[in-house]
Amino acid sequence: MEYRRRAVLRAGATGIAAAVAGCLGSNNTDGEGSIAGEELALATTTSTYDTGLLDEINAAFQERFGAQVAANAQGTGQAIESARNGNADVILVHARSQEDEFMREGYGVNRRDLMFNDFVVVGPSDDPAGVGDTDQATAAFEAIADAQATFVSRGDDSGTHTKELVVWSEAGLEPGGEWYQETGSGMGDTLTIADESSAYTLADRGTVLSMQDTVDLEIALQGPIEGGPELLANPYGIMAINPEIHDNVNYQLAMAYIGFVTSPEGQQLIGDYTANGQQLFFPEALAEDPDFQQYVPEDWQPDSEGE
Amino acid sequence: MALEFIAEPTYLRSIIRVSLTVSLTAIVLSTLVSLPIAFVVGFAEFPGKRLLTAIINTGMGFPSVAVGLLVLLFISNDGPLGTLELVYTPEAMIISQCILAAPVITGVALSAVESVDDAVRDAAYGVGGTRTDVALITLKEARYGVITGILAGFGRAISEVGSVLIVGGNIAYADGTSKTRTITTAITFETRRGEFETALALGAVLIVLVLLVNGIVLRLGGR
Amino acid sequence: MNLEFTDVSYGVDDTEILTDISLALESGEIVTIIGPSGAGKTTLLRLAALFEQPTDGTIRCDGTDPWGLSRDDRLAIRRRIGMVFQQASLFDAPVARNVDIGRRVRRPWPQRIRGFLERLLPRRLDDSPAVDERTLEALELVGLRDAWDRDPASLSGGEAQRVSFARALAADPDLLVLDEPTSDLDPRNTAILERAIERAREHDHGVLLATHDMHQAERISDRVAFLLEGELVEVGPSDRVFENPRDERTARFVRGDLLYDDNELFA
Repeated sequence: MEYRRRAVLRAGATGIAAAVAGCLGSNNTDGEGSIAGEELALATTTSTYDTGLLDEINAAFQERFGAQVAANAQGTGQAIESARNGNADVILVHARSQEDEFMREGYGVNRRDLMFNDFVVVGPSDDPAGVGDTDQATAAFEAIADAQATFVSRGDDSGTHTKELVVWSEAGLEPGGEWYQETGSGMGDTLTIADESSAYTLADRGTVLSMQDTVDLEIALQGPIEGGPELLANPYGIMAINPEIHDNVNYQLAMAYIGFVTSPEGQQLIGDYTANGQQLFFPEALAEDPDFQQYVPEDWQPDSEGE
Repeated sequence: MALEFIAEPTYLRSIIRVSLTVSLTAIVLSTLVSLPIAFVVGFAEFPGKRLLTAIINTGMGFPSVAVGLLVLLFISNDGPLGTLELVYTPEAMIISQCILAAPVITGVALSAVESVDDAVRDAAYGVGGTRTDVALITLKEARYGVITGILAGFGRAISEVGSVLIVGGNIAYADGTSKTRTITTAITFETRRGEFETALALGAVLIVLVLLVNGIVLRLGGR
Repeated sequence: MNLEFTDVSYGVDDTEILTDISLALESGEIVTIIGPSGAGKTTLLRLAALFEQPTDGTIRCDGTDPWGLSRDDRLAIRRRIGMVFQQASLFDAPVARNVDIGRRVRRPWPQRIRGFLERLLPRRLDDSPAVDERTLEALELVGLRDAWDRDPASLSGGEAQRVSFARALAADPDLLVLDEPTSDLDPRNTAILERAIERAREHDHGVLLATHDMHQAERISDRVAFLLEGELVEVGPSDRVFENPRDERTARFVRGDLLYDDNELFA
């Protein structure tokens, strides 16, 4: 009786130890160079992820290469910080100035232009500030400021917020006052708040299209895709994290992913992706005349001093 | 469109699985640490005991986001525990939930042990019990309070979103299977997308789960 | 058990609660401590039951000073003493488990763990009865044999106190220490317990009892000790102390003179 009980206890303890050890097992360390069965840590923004595009691309990537993608959607700043800390293998964001800084610091390598869409100015259907009569982003913002119409800002250093501040700056305005409200929230939340408050806001076309059924806002000023001002363009960039700085990143897998999404197949997937029957993203990785600026920070010159 | 996730049972099942696995494991581990601490502090008299009790009780209200950030600092790949590769894994979520639940379990269990009447402890001593006997008997008298503490800790763990979002990342694979997406982070996700009905439905699922766990535990406890 | 206090004093922080207590109790004797509230009766009883250690003086149990022994040896002596308090303080478990707690804590650990695990099973492994006969006998002494499976919360105050008494008796102590055991009880329950106390004396056990009921003290004691503000004013055979007290203060207390100024008592 004593012996049997001890044997059972020992078996149980071994079983628990084995289960726990299995839980804490690290990623695949297959040394053959194959990437099948490995997992890619992709840092990206919530607005990009929420459109559902990445689920489609990642499913195709997994089918092609047998590797899973763990997409971690955070705010732009958070995603970049995550990558800076080596907690991601590849990063996909749409904030060129922050991407440039990331490259200059040495963290980001092999940058590619991936796709673009644009921003639009949305607002209440009755358009109290008359934004619909303008055709420049700066003019639109001026109209809103003049009419003191409620404007909802992301206020969170995201790609969208960065663009919004650029437009205010180009228009020579410093927004403030009761009509200018900062939500500190994601794009979806901000659109909802704008909808509830009958306010204007700057949003990326992708989120606007995917939330078409849930909010009553209307596009007051179009972006360049529909003939609007170039200032409202929204390019997306993808980079691998520098393995020399963070030796734990899966560089091989990251480059495979970048290779896939910038390949004709990947770019086709991007171009074909629609929401509510409308195309959300426009591929721009491939061109007969490649844009060399995509590989380096925008103002980089071969003989410029200091990075 | 709103409740389409129910048509995808894999998705719902996987986030329930992650939620339950993470929180239940966190509670078991946390209890193993919290109860001994509660008993030692409860039975002993020492200078600073009241201060320690106050600290434990304060820990109950520690903001989950802050705990998540602290854990992230440690397990980040360039942090002190980076080699364990814990970031954005369910294991990391278990760690942060342990930290969140421990003060709750300790505090409530401690309070239960201390509220056992001195007269009962005298009675245990009086029948010839050793100090260990008195401790064990006090524990049994406090058992309902202790169980309440454990259930409270579980409630805190499974319904929190701040720390699991930060250390876990709300990650789901392309086919919908959850890696670190819990019911709570899924609610945040759906809310962010404006899918309020889905978010509320997930909230209802969470409440039902908590009720089930509470029911089972209380039933086993004999109440 | 023979219990002897020699010049025992006890104080907490800077307050002296008992001063120079000298008292002896033989097996088969009932000694009652009387005195006003706050005199230190409970403290004296707790010292007798080895709950506290005297700050001065010596206690002896059958000639041995328990405080000079190791903890284990002292435990052996402590286990020959049973204490009943003013409140029943039953554990949250059926009556039978309350009563046989004394027997259960004295078992060796392997047996105790086995017993604990067995209780987790839905049915009993062997054919042993649900309740031990000794437990029933202890309950019989207080007239509650049939209450063995009842929930303590369902007991009346008097019944609970009787179970508490059975709990002390079940451990078969050589010395019973009772702190106002019938204070909260009605005459019927009081009578039942007093009969149980007298039966303990018949079995040659010692009984040390504190009470504020003068009539009870007269009824059942062999000897009486009057404790006033931490000092034993008078000790002697029950009849003599009540009928012919040697000290003026004893006389007034026994008479029921409660309306005095503290200062007057020392006049």
